[in-house]
Amino acid sequence: MGRRTKQSWKRNRAEWLTFLAFVSPNLVLFALFTYWPIVYSAYLSFMDWNLLTARGAFVELANYRVVFTDPQIRTVIGNTLIYACAVVCVAQALAFALALLLNRNVRGQVFFRTLAFAPHVTTTAAAALVWVLLLDPDLGPSSVLYNALGIHGPHFLASSKLALWAIVSIGVWKEVGFASIFFLAGLQTLPRDCYEAAELETDSGWKVFRHLTLPLMSPVVFFLSVSGFIAAIKAFDVVSVMTQGGPVYPASSTYVYHLYRLAFQEFRAGDASAFAVVFFVITVAITGLQFRLARKWVHYGD
Amino acid sequence: MATDRQITRIAPAGSCIPSALLVYAGLVFSAVMLALPFFWMALTSLKSSAAVAAYPPSWWPSEFTWSNYRDAWNAAPFGRYYINSVVTGAAATSLQIIFALLMAYAFAVIRFPGKGAILLAVISTMMIPDEMKLVPNYILLSRLHWVDTYWALIIPPAAHAFPVFVLYQYFRTVPPDLLDAAHVDGAGHLRILIQIIAPMARPVLAATALVAFLGRWNDFLWPLIVTNRTVMRTLPIGLNYLKENEGRWNILMAAAIYVIIPMIGLYVAAQRQFVEGITRGALKG
Repeated sequence: MGRRTKQSWKRNRAEWLTFLAFVSPNLVLFALFTYWPIVYSAYLSFMDWNLLTARGAFVELANYRVVFTDPQIRTVIGNTLIYACAVVCVAQALAFALALLLNRNVRGQVFFRTLAFAPHVTTTAAAALVWVLLLDPDLGPSSVLYNALGIHGPHFLASSKLALWAIVSIGVWKEVGFASIFFLAGLQTLPRDCYEAAELETDSGWKVFRHLTLPLMSPVVFFLSVSGFIAAIKAFDVVSVMTQGGPVYPASSTYVYHLYRLAFQEFRAGDASAFAVVFFVITVAITGLQFRLARKWVHYGD
Repeated sequence: MATDRQITRIAPAGSCIPSALLVYAGLVFSAVMLALPFFWMALTSLKSSAAVAAYPPSWWPSEFTWSNYRDAWNAAPFGRYYINSVVTGAAATSLQIIFALLMAYAFAVIRFPGKGAILLAVISTMMIPDEMKLVPNYILLSRLHWVDTYWALIIPPAAHAFPVFVLYQYFRTVPPDLLDAAHVDGAGHLRILIQIIAPMARPVLAATALVAFLGRWNDFLWPLIVTNRTVMRTLPIGLNYLKENEGRWNILMAAAIYVIIPMIGLYVAAQRQFVEGITRGALKG
């Protein structure tokens, strides 16, 4: 008996050591570059420190107060929400419509699919650059449209009101095709017999769409909206390449761009950390809500 | 009325000509809008400087100015940028896949007390925004004297929960009999992983690796922070700095083509794996 326990312990020990050896490369890296930064960010957010000098003093909640009473912050948070909501709503609506078209056994589906994902795999920094040109009222293709209308088009990037919408347009362009492929995949799994039954009931395509397709597609809509929203509030590349928050800062700045500016241009490590901690709380809360609400709102069928 | 119904009806059905026309019109318009940025980038990169400045802009270059590509190549050290992007991207991707293989196998196959909690801790890192880690990781890297080295671009991204998650899902579908048989033959875990499981998972590995490489290639914020010297920049960062001193749009667009063309080529060549990798697990998630 004793010998058997000893043997099984020996075997278990070998298994456990193998397990630890297999998971340790990732766990060590996660500890260093993910778990520790969370703790350290929280710590830094209570410190007055500008990255350049020796460690500063403990200042309680002063950094949070500084960051969130900053007059720029309202614009930055407002911009981030406008950007994320606009990209999610516009891109989803267009993508859904596109998926409905693609679902009609059209020719050239393969070609279209290739094209639809292409913006998603394109380096955002490069895409942002060509969009500067596309939106230029003199150099871009839109000048044809402005010419036809007999007006001079707006300089999106030189306008504090419009610069954010230039950023939104790239966000939509990158998201539409991507989302449409997900919607199409969802549409293709919908049960045919439901539609046959519905056709006996009603003549109205709109009613079928409203009461059958939309509820059945709600999990996909929900999933894409939340993941799209979380991705959108992290927007940085486009802002950095296109406007750097301008034309007059922070007209088109977003949360992460502001964070970058605080930390790496103004070297306010403490303030930036407070800003980062709040961002962490927000994104984790949204992800948590995602799971909660999914159960309540979303129709998953039976 | 009948046409009306055909247009809006969702279920695929035999369509009549006007509605089919509308569908194609919608698709062609969408395709044009999706493709326009690529077209304009390529078009501008081939225009002469005079043609770029012309108003209204032309939709086809009067003469193809291929020398823009030579000028762009000389305007910034693109050869070096390519080496940096390829080396650090390939290294980080390889490590991500190797580490994920080991970890996913351990979670799926090896017994260990409290395994579930560790798995949860790993999966939950996917919720943590990278942006939150910028300041602490920068400080850590500067302590290690890794700022402005390849290590900064390779090691922190080498651990990622996404490939672990995808591979773990896949490994759980491997029949246990197969593993038991291998065990009886006296094979250790590492041998089973390398000789049996990994080869079986090759399609999943390819898809996961492509997504990882895509992420490295297009990454902007992290390399922007941890590279200072020109020779350490990756392609997107190099392009970003070129933009600041280069006023000629044709040269900039040629440079942008340099940045995107390898990834577009890879995508077109391995489209199925790309799409599978990006969508895998997402809808189940």
